[in-house]
Amino acid sequence: MSRYLLTRVGTLLLSLVLASVVVFAVLRFLPGDSAGTSLGVGTTSDQLEQLRADLGTDQPLWTQYGQWVAGLFSGSAGTSFVSRLPVGELIASKLPITLPLSLAAFVVSVLVSVPLGVVAAVRRRGVVGVTVSAVSQLGVAVPVFWVGVILVWIFALEAGVLPPGGFPRQGWEDPAAAVRSLVLPVATVAIAMSSVMVRYVRSATLDVLDQDYVRTARSLGYGRWHALARHGLRNGAVPVVAILGIELATSLLGAVVVENVFALPGLGTLLVSSVEGRDLPVVQALVLGLTALVLVTNFLVDLAQRGIDPRLRAGSALGGAR
Amino acid sequence: MRTLKAAAAVLATTLLLAACGSGGSGGASSSAAAGADAEIVIGSTNEPTGLVRNVGGSSGVSQTMTRNVFEGLTSVDVDGLVVPTLAKDWDVSEDGLVYTFHLQPGVHFHDGSDLTAQDVVWSISQTIAPESKSARKNDLSVISSITAPDDATVQLDLSRRSQSLPFYLASVTIVQDGDTELSSENGTGPYRFVEWTQGDHLTIERNDDYWGTPAKNSGVTFRFFKDTTALNNALLTGDLDLVIAEDSPDQLVQFEGNDAFTITEGTSTTKQIWAFNDRVAPFDDVRVRQALYKAIDREKVLDAVWDGYGQVIGSMVPPTDPWFVDQADVHAYDPQAAKDLLAQAGVSDLTIAVDYVAGDPSETIAQLLQADLQAVGVTLTLNPVDDATWYQKIYTDHDFQTTLMGHVNPRDVVWYANPDFYWGYDNKDVQQWVADADQAATTEEQTALLTQVNETIGQEAASAWLYLDPQIRVARAEITGFPVNQVTESFYVADIVREG
Repeated sequence: MSRYLLTRVGTLLLSLVLASVVVFAVLRFLPGDSAGTSLGVGTTSDQLEQLRADLGTDQPLWTQYGQWVAGLFSGSAGTSFVSRLPVGELIASKLPITLPLSLAAFVVSVLVSVPLGVVAAVRRRGVVGVTVSAVSQLGVAVPVFWVGVILVWIFALEAGVLPPGGFPRQGWEDPAAAVRSLVLPVATVAIAMSSVMVRYVRSATLDVLDQDYVRTARSLGYGRWHALARHGLRNGAVPVVAILGIELATSLLGAVVVENVFALPGLGTLLVSSVEGRDLPVVQALVLGLTALVLVTNFLVDLAQRGIDPRLRAGSALGGAR
Repeated sequence: MRTLKAAAAVLATTLLLAACGSGGSGGASSSAAAGADAEIVIGSTNEPTGLVRNVGGSSGVSQTMTRNVFEGLTSVDVDGLVVPTLAKDWDVSEDGLVYTFHLQPGVHFHDGSDLTAQDVVWSISQTIAPESKSARKNDLSVISSITAPDDATVQLDLSRRSQSLPFYLASVTIVQDGDTELSSENGTGPYRFVEWTQGDHLTIERNDDYWGTPAKNSGVTFRFFKDTTALNNALLTGDLDLVIAEDSPDQLVQFEGNDAFTITEGTSTTKQIWAFNDRVAPFDDVRVRQALYKAIDREKVLDAVWDGYGQVIGSMVPPTDPWFVDQADVHAYDPQAAKDLLAQAGVSDLTIAVDYVAGDPSETIAQLLQADLQAVGVTLTLNPVDDATWYQKIYTDHDFQTTLMGHVNPRDVVWYANPDFYWGYDNKDVQQWVADADQAATTEEQTALLTQVNETIGQEAASAWLYLDPQIRVARAEITGFPVNQVTESFYVADIVREG
């Protein structure tokens, strides 16, 4: 186990280092000049040079990379080129919107998709099963932002029961207003995520239902549901947990997309405006942060799977195949 | 391996997503109070990039803060005229080289301290200092010394006459001696700065100790949007009182014929330009430029983009600049004349590229240009780029043939006197006239010279000016007192009232 852990942690760290290089390099090779973009039309080339020197973008790339990484280790992600605010502070101020949004969407979609997926598998030829499959297919096909636009139209513009977008100026000091403004965005992300997850849960359950041990249990007189609950769930959980890990990251990305539709001042809107303004320190920090989150989530998912499935633990003892 | 794949997918998705761009922000609902207690909520797509003022490209911060929170010695009013502000008045010496500004008495900063001449000296010195990034640094380089003879007087010595000095000074907001642009929130205006939440809103509240006429509302929140649908939804549902600028007539349909809203059409200074790179062939030939200009049906372009709003122009000068003369007909739409001119210039089978920032209205304009040019035998290839790329490729590197751009600044015809500007128009007469105009003894003389500039660049088709954007605002019917025109960077909010 400890050797497995060491290998996994090593891979994780190496991936993070690679990710930081990729993020840094990709942004530097994007066309466009941060200094020019922030000064705009009407400034002289001397002023541009001056600003580049102020921002440090006139330094060799490896120096800039070194400064960035050194900063990260000392707990500073640098200063925004554009607003001149500390990047960490800027990102932290967006978390109270993006985190609740993505976590709520994740929880809602798990609560919806796991029961629906199991039912759809057990009653796969029934009305319920066919309906769930069809609706989830539709949900997968439709773009996330479009669902958002439709929800705004129905619940904000026509019915007038929820705000069309925005977040209360006082933030979470007005919890009722804050929650109200997140209802539609959460629903939007959750609909998209549930559609995907329901299909995974359904197919994982189907696999389990076809297994010998379930058939054996049923031949011993257990009911279909009882057999599944007793012997199937733990087995079905292994692939589903893997998907949950990926979906947790997806929920964050989904949040980033719908923030734009709902005019929520979260990480998504920050990311978009930062790329437009070539605010490299902010984009770097955001992309690296999201990447790190996915890597760490997957690391934890691997550990969780080993906890659920003893065969995986045995497998690693034979040579760390997983 | 799966882990790495997932991480790579996230990386790719975020970058892709970021590259596409489109979004919004928000977060406030209008209070119901009317009259002097009313708080006004204004929607805008032009968020400040930062709170640093007096820096080029900072139109968002100028829009919200200039005249409202920070003031200059002078201001430009809604008709485009220079009016005294922190300077009560000023004297100009006989030779035009010494300006003596007398400060308005009884002015306090928001922290309670008095405005002194030293504060003005500091603020202007900062703008023209060697390390300044102000877009006005060059314009104000004519100032050779700034002194404060006493606490209420500021004297500027110039190296030559400058008719435009009072206009340029309107862009220099006065902060306290020693305050830097980065840190100061301490102005003299009718509002105090309260907060700015990046990506969401900026709030200012009435300054009850204001030296002049106090604001007619208790405060203003600017809410920032990227997505115009989200912006107009917020106005429809009552979350906003006013939208500063509608960017397409499509959005107006839902407000037209609705008594709950007022739509105003004013004039702007935003000129949509199809600029040529005049320094390279074939655009260095005046006949080719004239031909390309005549090939374009500007009425049709304006109609396609604005559906009856706006105004066709024939030069860089908007009607609110003092040297405006209507030149829309100088190179009126005439495909036959365009073909003849191209033949005279010996140009055939011309293929040219247009670079533009992706999105509307440039997308629509580019396609109409393509069709009109096809009709005179010119092939136009479309090359959409993003904002940052535009600044690099066109503005900095001059690596382009033609480009579409909107220019918002008032009185920016003088850029045609700079051969190093991105469009590279190089005409010695124009350069001389612009230099002479600023050094003119009287405003009449200045106006006459710049009118000449205006007519010459129009005649020579230095660029192809397409149309002037209308300034369309939509407000809830009970909101009045907002400026209808937009002829400066600032959006003055102190007269806005919510009727009871």
